[in-house]
Amino acid sequence: MPVNPKGEAVAPAATSKTHASAPKAKRRLRASALVAATAAAVLALTACGGGAEQKSADGKVELRFSWWGGDKRAQLTQEAIAAFEAENPNIKIKPEYGDWSGYWDKLATQVAANDAPDIIQMDEKYITEYSTRGALLDLSKYDIDTSKLDEAALNAGKGEDGLTGIAAGINAATILANPAVFQAAGVPLPDDKTWTWEDFERIAAEVTAKSPKGTYGAAAYGTDEASLGVWLRQNGKSLYTKDGKLGFEPADIKGYWEFLKQMSDNKAVPTASEIVEAEAAPLDQSGLATGKNGMAFWWSNQLPALEKAAGGELQILRFPSKTGKAEDAGLWYKASQFWSASSRTKHPEETAKFIDFLTNNVKAGEILLADRGVYPNSDVREAIAPKLAKADVKVVDFIGAIKEELGEAPAAPPKGAGAIQEIIKRYTSEVMFNRLSAEEAGKKAVDEMKSAIGA
Amino acid sequence: MSAIGELSTMTRRKGPLSKEEKKANGRDNKAAYVFLLPWLIGLVAITVGPMLMSLYLSFTDYNLLQPPEWVGLDNFVRMFGDARLHNSLRVTFTYVLVGVPLQLGVALLIALVLDKGLRGLPFYRSIFYLPSLLGGSVAVAILWKQIFGTTGLVNQVLAMVGIEGPGWISDPNTALGSIILLHVWTFGSPMIIFLAGLRQIPVMYYEAAKVDGATTLQQFWRITLPMLSPIIFFNLVLQIIGSFQSFTQAFIVSGGNGGPSDSTMFFTLYLYQKGFGQFDMGYASAMAWFLLVIIGVFTAINFIASKYWVFYDD
Repeated sequence: MPVNPKGEAVAPAATSKTHASAPKAKRRLRASALVAATAAAVLALTACGGGAEQKSADGKVELRFSWWGGDKRAQLTQEAIAAFEAENPNIKIKPEYGDWSGYWDKLATQVAANDAPDIIQMDEKYITEYSTRGALLDLSKYDIDTSKLDEAALNAGKGEDGLTGIAAGINAATILANPAVFQAAGVPLPDDKTWTWEDFERIAAEVTAKSPKGTYGAAAYGTDEASLGVWLRQNGKSLYTKDGKLGFEPADIKGYWEFLKQMSDNKAVPTASEIVEAEAAPLDQSGLATGKNGMAFWWSNQLPALEKAAGGELQILRFPSKTGKAEDAGLWYKASQFWSASSRTKHPEETAKFIDFLTNNVKAGEILLADRGVYPNSDVREAIAPKLAKADVKVVDFIGAIKEELGEAPAAPPKGAGAIQEIIKRYTSEVMFNRLSAEEAGKKAVDEMKSAIGA
Repeated sequence: MSAIGELSTMTRRKGPLSKEEKKANGRDNKAAYVFLLPWLIGLVAITVGPMLMSLYLSFTDYNLLQPPEWVGLDNFVRMFGDARLHNSLRVTFTYVLVGVPLQLGVALLIALVLDKGLRGLPFYRSIFYLPSLLGGSVAVAILWKQIFGTTGLVNQVLAMVGIEGPGWISDPNTALGSIILLHVWTFGSPMIIFLAGLRQIPVMYYEAAKVDGATTLQQFWRITLPMLSPIIFFNLVLQIIGSFQSFTQAFIVSGGNGGPSDSTMFFTLYLYQKGFGQFDMGYASAMAWFLLVIIGVFTAINFIASKYWVFYDD
């Protein structure tokens, strides 16, 4: 093709010498150019807009369902999805799952982009944030049977904006012990109905002393708010008050850090550096799972997954108390997670149907068992009891055993509570690395927490 | 043949274009724009649009879940009183002001060695360039975490000579240093550019200097450095801009929280946390524009200062 001096784009027909055919060729050129460019633009645009399509080609309703959790949970949840789809052939559930750490960044972005999943696994730390900002559906307006749910569990999902979450399971903060580590050190397991924090420190230090280098009697607390919650409750305070304010003063958190520092100095728990490294490890590689810790702080529902990772049995223990009485340990039932729905879902009926299935259907219960905590639906709980694995039974029994010892139900975390854990973590390392005294850290941390929850 | 004939007559013709030709020209421009359309849409939708949006958001209180509310300069005023932001600036400036000169120094040194006519040069060049390709990746950051952990490779080697090393990346005193080291390790791309620059320096200068009895060091100071200064300048500008924006390494090595104790809390990491972790996208947008200003100022200083030390051979 000839080079055209004016830089014209030349279509094949334009090489013709005849003047008569030139305009026609140009027109054809423009038409084809338009088609090509439009096609390219459409391609580019549809590439950006992927995911907006809700109905799949065969007329099925497609719902997106996102959760956080490990491999075991992914496997069980997908089985439950398959069971639901078998009963509801016109609904297709598309799973989206990942690790806890990336989950919330992703969810916030999706919600902002108007691309939230229809069904969202929600945590108590974030549920107020999302519901007060209108991102979650009021499930009480849809056909979900809640009559068989434990009242406390049901209430945990209720707020000013209605029923925005239905508890997926019941949990308690616990200390899990690895008997193999105790045995190797020749130290007997503690009696968790009578032990105090002093006992905890002494036993942990003894295990460390009698174990190979690098193994510690206990993991450190101070990397999440559960242990702080327990500590505050045992001292007559709480993380949050009913009116959404912070429930404690700098002096209260000071003791929490001083004791941790003391335990680290006595080698009951690891050094500052090791604590920081342990924070980043996923459940499968945690100190408890790898036999590097005799005891560690976990939620009760995490026991089966941890046993699997550790390749041996673990023991559930109550938290120590100040008095040595189990009823002073200040434990509580927590909704492990919630089933929530996006307020912008295009298919609220179908979404509710799926949440109802997860909550009330025995088939779902038989698959999910105790992975998300003890089933809040009493009928399902009874029906699946014979199916529970040994590890699940331990969890269910523990939740039952502490029922009479529970303290008052804690106030729901207010808006902004999602930032609290990070603040605790950061100031724990400030104290552990001797960069701040426990007192200074207490003041700064409380200031930051107050501004995070806007109180 | 006809086409060439046409071409010669058209180029030879003088005078203004006829009306018809102008019209045809306009049509052709239109065609060009139509073809450019996909790219233009991309530019507007993916670059310019979001930038303008973020400029708007920087003047609002925007929590991602509800529509933004105009708050004027509030976000920028808040930055003055934010101690964590000041800390993140300190961390970022340390990273840039220590990391960039170190990295360029190492790059230049290796380039000089390679330029001496080593046998198997392409092989070494590839080996040294490799970290540049890998350094920004998640995999290498994870590897780094292992190597510099409490029981990592570095401490195992130190233990052999009886030194008990700290947890390099888990100790607030050494964590940033470990990340700077990771940055220095990725000296490959400036090195390649230096190497190309060194090849451009005419050999005759060195020959003349040798005849005059100049030592190797004198040759380096008097010939190599001045001749290479435009390349050094280019690398400096590029690396400073890039380093101010670095994110991945700190994000992975610190597990996303800039820890321990905010010692690796880069400005970009704090921005990300504010925007996506704490539902404070308005503030995060304001931070992004503040970073743009910082980078702009540094680049301007670079260009002004370059008049005094960069030597253009023309």
